[in-house]
Amino acid sequence: MTNKNPYIPMPVKISRIIDEVDTHDIKTFRFEFLNKEDEAGFKYLPGQFGELSIYGKGESPIGIASSPTQKGYVEFTVQRAGAVVPGMVTSALHEMEEGALMGIRGPLGKSWPLEYLEGKNIVIVGGGFAFTTLRSLINYMIYGKNRERFGSITIIYGARNPGLLLYKDELIEWGKRTDLNLNVTVDKADAAWKGREGFVPAVCKEVAPGKENAVAVICGPPVMIRFTLPVFFDLGFSKANIITSLEMRMKCGIGKCGRCNVGSKYVCTDGPVFSLAELDNLTQEY
Amino acid sequence: MLKKTAINKISELAAVLMEKGTLLAPVKEAAGFNFREISDAGQVNLHFHNTIISPKSAFFPQMEDFVRYQTGKSILEAAPVELNLKPVFLFGVRPCDVKSFEIMDIHFSGTGAVDPYWKKRREAATIFGHAFDLNEAADPAEFYHTLGIGAADPQGSDIFMVTKDNDLLFKSITPKGKKLLEELTMLTEASAGDRKYFEDYIARGHDYKTRFASVEPKAIATEFESIFDNREFWKNVSNACLSCGVCTFVCPTCYCFDICDETLFNKGTRRRVWDACMFTDFTLEASGHNPRTNVYQRLRQKICHKYSFSIRKYGVISCVGCGRCTRYCPVNIDIFSIVEQAVKAKWYKRL
Repeated sequence: MTNKNPYIPMPVKISRIIDEVDTHDIKTFRFEFLNKEDEAGFKYLPGQFGELSIYGKGESPIGIASSPTQKGYVEFTVQRAGAVVPGMVTSALHEMEEGALMGIRGPLGKSWPLEYLEGKNIVIVGGGFAFTTLRSLINYMIYGKNRERFGSITIIYGARNPGLLLYKDELIEWGKRTDLNLNVTVDKADAAWKGREGFVPAVCKEVAPGKENAVAVICGPPVMIRFTLPVFFDLGFSKANIITSLEMRMKCGIGKCGRCNVGSKYVCTDGPVFSLAELDNLTQEY
Repeated sequence: MLKKTAINKISELAAVLMEKGTLLAPVKEAAGFNFREISDAGQVNLHFHNTIISPKSAFFPQMEDFVRYQTGKSILEAAPVELNLKPVFLFGVRPCDVKSFEIMDIHFSGTGAVDPYWKKRREAATIFGHAFDLNEAADPAEFYHTLGIGAADPQGSDIFMVTKDNDLLFKSITPKGKKLLEELTMLTEASAGDRKYFEDYIARGHDYKTRFASVEPKAIATEFESIFDNREFWKNVSNACLSCGVCTFVCPTCYCFDICDETLFNKGTRRRVWDACMFTDFTLEASGHNPRTNVYQRLRQKICHKYSFSIRKYGVISCVGCGRCTRYCPVNIDIFSIVEQAVKAKWYKRL
């Protein structure tokens, strides 16, 4: 029952913890597998997720923030929950230190549709904390020769204020590249901020990526999504070419426990990645 | 192969099966009958119509332990709980419930990831199906006929049993059942008359009527899709619903579960437990967002899952018409009537 049992987590060591934001409630955890065969078996693509598992606390489904091109480890960026419901796992995780052991199950779910994205112009729109699997996708697309497989890459990423931007070092690196059109914005600037100020939908309007041969990959808080989608519809993007990732409460992550059921789909196995065209065929209960 | 024994000798058969492995059979309890592990051969009681809780717990127990762990200790010391099963004999299962195993197989082991617990428990079991008593009236809650299931359908059982006066007839349906039947030497050979009686009985099972509505899977799936957003309809049918979840707990095809860590002092168990889409926190997310806060949304989820989503995903209606949800609902919500109304909803709309 042990080796192939999909409910039993694989042991991992936390090899690095990065405090991402001023409010200290979002950290990136880097995990290394204790067993080489587990590492070899953890073949993932950007957009997939894993269940972070701490015995005595439970499990949390979290998107994978690293790219498969980063070898030897896997990263998850986790926000401490607890404002509304007691975030047992995320709180425990935030208390852990480098070197601690815990468990992972995965990789789970469907990835961003990489084959479909190949040869196309990619527009990535992210808001706040929902940038993690987009970061995975960006790092995947710009890695070495992978870059040739995609057309232009436009990134629009916003946070409420400069202190809440994730992956600050990478944003600087990406900004130096000439093969990326990076637009980082904040809702409200501070004295030190020299970049763009403005809400994500407004910036999308300004940047106005062309619809020709283009796909938009959009992740963010509901309010950002609500105001960003009309911008892309106005730009002429079809629903099949706007892709997002759904959230739903999950437990098993393998399509058995029934929790993330939306219409005839399970978000954990049929998603979490869906195009708007696919979501139109689902019941609107998510 | 057809064999038989006198009903009053059933405890002798029970004793043999208990020697061979674990026997699960109907037992009379204060509130009614339930499948239990038999510890005394005299407990087996076939004078039942159907059990309160469905026999799904033989393969999908209310609690299934995954791992034992100690808090403060390394994950490397956590020990997965091994399932070392003796052969299991599930005795006296009604045809509609036997059919439910086939539907659950599609979900747990037939598509996507294989659930190792369901698979192992299924493989360890030999199912003794048992025809309903055709001389007795159907329970008013039942509607398995609507789902195309006869009162004496042997499909899905390893051995199928029919009562004939004071005798119980046993027919092997699968090779596994045949092998076991050969080993059960306390059973006697049936006569040619018994054989005819058995075959006639199976055929008569289809004439035995429960509540019936003409329900074609694809058509009913479409029907429910078309009324999904009809809030008035769903508010109406869920008006009395207490969201107690009893319908899902007694149901043979409800499979939703939770995975919980239960720790006492420093020792704990990670296990799965039955859960229900009828509960308000079933879909409560860490952010506080909950897509199904209203009772009508949850009852809609339960019914549409069985009569629409399951058809689209697995090609089958995830209901066998056993009537348990209706029988044990504290406020008399009847899934059959809701399905019937859904079929008629399009005419209602025209009024």
